[in-house]
Amino acid sequence: MAIISEQPGGQQVPDGGITAQGVSRSFGTVRAVDHMDFHAPAGKVTALIGPNGAGKTTLLLMLASLLAPDQGTITVGGLDPVRNRAEVRSRLGWMPDTLGVWESLTAREILTQMARFYRLPASGIAPRVTEMLERVRLTGLADQPARVLSRGQQQRLSLARALIHDPSVLLLDEPASGLDPGSRVELRTTLRQLAAEGKAVVVSSHVLSELDEIADGAVFVNNGRTVRQQTTEEAAAAGRRYAITAADTTALAAELARLGLEFRREEGRRPGVSLVLHNEVGAERLLRDLVLAGVGIRSFAPAVGALEETYMNLEGERR
Amino acid sequence: MSSMTENREGSAHRGAPGPYMAGIGHVVALELKQRLRSRGWYIMLAIWFALTGLVTWLTWASWSASNAFQRDFGDVSGAGSTGPGSLIFEVVLAFVLLFALLVAPALSANAVNGDRAGGTLAILQVTLLEPGQILWGKFVAAWAAALAFLVASTPFLVIGVALGGLTPAYILVSLVMLAVEVGIVCAIGVGISALAGRPLFSIVVTYLAVAGLVVGTLISFGLGTGLTQGTALANNPQYRAYAPLQSEPMDAGYTCAGPLREQSAMHTERVAWTLAMNPFVVVADAIPYPDRTARQNFTSIGAIEGISQAARQAMAGPEGTTPCANGKVQPTYLGQKTPLWPLGLGLQLVLSGLLMWLGWRSLRTPVRKLPRGTRIA
Repeated sequence: MAIISEQPGGQQVPDGGITAQGVSRSFGTVRAVDHMDFHAPAGKVTALIGPNGAGKTTLLLMLASLLAPDQGTITVGGLDPVRNRAEVRSRLGWMPDTLGVWESLTAREILTQMARFYRLPASGIAPRVTEMLERVRLTGLADQPARVLSRGQQQRLSLARALIHDPSVLLLDEPASGLDPGSRVELRTTLRQLAAEGKAVVVSSHVLSELDEIADGAVFVNNGRTVRQQTTEEAAAAGRRYAITAADTTALAAELARLGLEFRREEGRRPGVSLVLHNEVGAERLLRDLVLAGVGIRSFAPAVGALEETYMNLEGERR
Repeated sequence: MSSMTENREGSAHRGAPGPYMAGIGHVVALELKQRLRSRGWYIMLAIWFALTGLVTWLTWASWSASNAFQRDFGDVSGAGSTGPGSLIFEVVLAFVLLFALLVAPALSANAVNGDRAGGTLAILQVTLLEPGQILWGKFVAAWAAALAFLVASTPFLVIGVALGGLTPAYILVSLVMLAVEVGIVCAIGVGISALAGRPLFSIVVTYLAVAGLVVGTLISFGLGTGLTQGTALANNPQYRAYAPLQSEPMDAGYTCAGPLREQSAMHTERVAWTLAMNPFVVVADAIPYPDRTARQNFTSIGAIEGISQAARQAMAGPEGTTPCANGKVQPTYLGQKTPLWPLGLGLQLVLSGLLMWLGWRSLRTPVRKLPRGTRIA
């Protein structure tokens, strides 16, 4: 099991980030999480990737200090959640995958209540709530009962609720599920901003294409275990499959064969070829060569996202 | 440094209850806001008000009908002299208690697991709120919602008191006791709702607990009495000829003579504690009634007084109720000197306190053991 560390050395005491070491958790006879290692550094977006039932939500519940691990330790900014409960809680923001909302309350009331539960100073609550409503673009709906909000709006409210006390660690469980493409782009921007503010952002998902754009690093889990931990750059450097279509696929194939490259013919709706390239420089060079050779290239792009590539490779290893 | 801040917070907690109470207050506010916005609660309240009014009117109507009948037919021994007040008051009180016991589980028994099912409990648990604050907040909110029903029935109790010439202490004590009993049911409901996985299950269990207190205590007292077969020392009562005009107030009407002998008796005092747990007994026993041991020719005692007297007889056991036990004439009427309700209320508090404590345990985070088939979020 190759764990590629995020920072070269000196990550024993991460400041502000969240770390789990060798955590296990069973429900009855089911081992949901089995000696999982996880680290999300401050100022970065870390993706938690794995198929359904891989233990993502269980790990996040343990990170959120709701569920106690059977074994292993969790530290939030170097603090133990059991001993420094209040301290850790005020640093953690958690957005669950189930959208629990108090339906008869308005968005403003929900955020105000949450601010009180986090013991924010009373005088600062109203401006803070207004600020959060603006941040998630719910100002216009602030005084409507939460039940009239659409799913996407409730997601945004849920995000605002997790952010109300300005936590340094943000745990988001499937934040993009059920969002329309526009809202996804918006979520992406928001998460990048939060990471830029120095927060450790953890996003769990099994939709990989969007994570490529936002995640700095990824932790792959499956069957309750950490399978791989890598940065997006490392994922990209590990080689990616590119899909190429040309006006004349035969000519393209002939040229690739002449260059001595291994490729695969794709008989999809748009016939083309695909091949693995080790880095972006190689891709650049190949495209130039093909164009210079007079092959009419119509498209030349990575077939799948970098993280998806790793994910699919892992799936392959598993079989 | 951070551990120092934590310590400071922790000791501030234990020293001053301020932040802790404030947290409870915020949870109560959250709960009440939701309850006040549900139309069902208002509909129930309106039905309740109408129903209590109807019961009051029916009681009054039936009293005046029987009164008119007795006047027409010249019967002077009837209840005409006492007025309708105490009757209306007692009927309304019993009715309000019965329905409050039926309403309270509905208002409390899904307080925690309803939120768990809706995914909103974990959102509270992940904040700085402590499990005790969540639980107390839920309990206070459920109690407050149930108390609104008592407030809605107060006008009818006041009518009863006013018509019957009863003292304000009467209505004050009975309202306080009703509120306490409702609070106990709410605590049982909230405790069970924190323990049980599903709202339906906890509501049913809470109704069963209420049924246990109301009916089960009677059944267990009845069945338990059979197990208390024993003996008591007594001699023979010699009854005098019936002479109503000469009898002393509350005279037992007999004298004791002869040697003391072991007579078979039921030692009801051994199982009377089950009877004491009955909410009706607790309320009836706590309400003051005039001391009748020194008063002459009262015609009938009310139902509440009757319940209280019966329970005290059970508590006194054969030593206090068998004619000529230990060769002494027993009063047929027990005074207010041996109240039963503190025992019953104490037992009820132990039960509800235990359930609340177990509920508090299940709300602690990080959770170590989860009930089978439940998720924390």
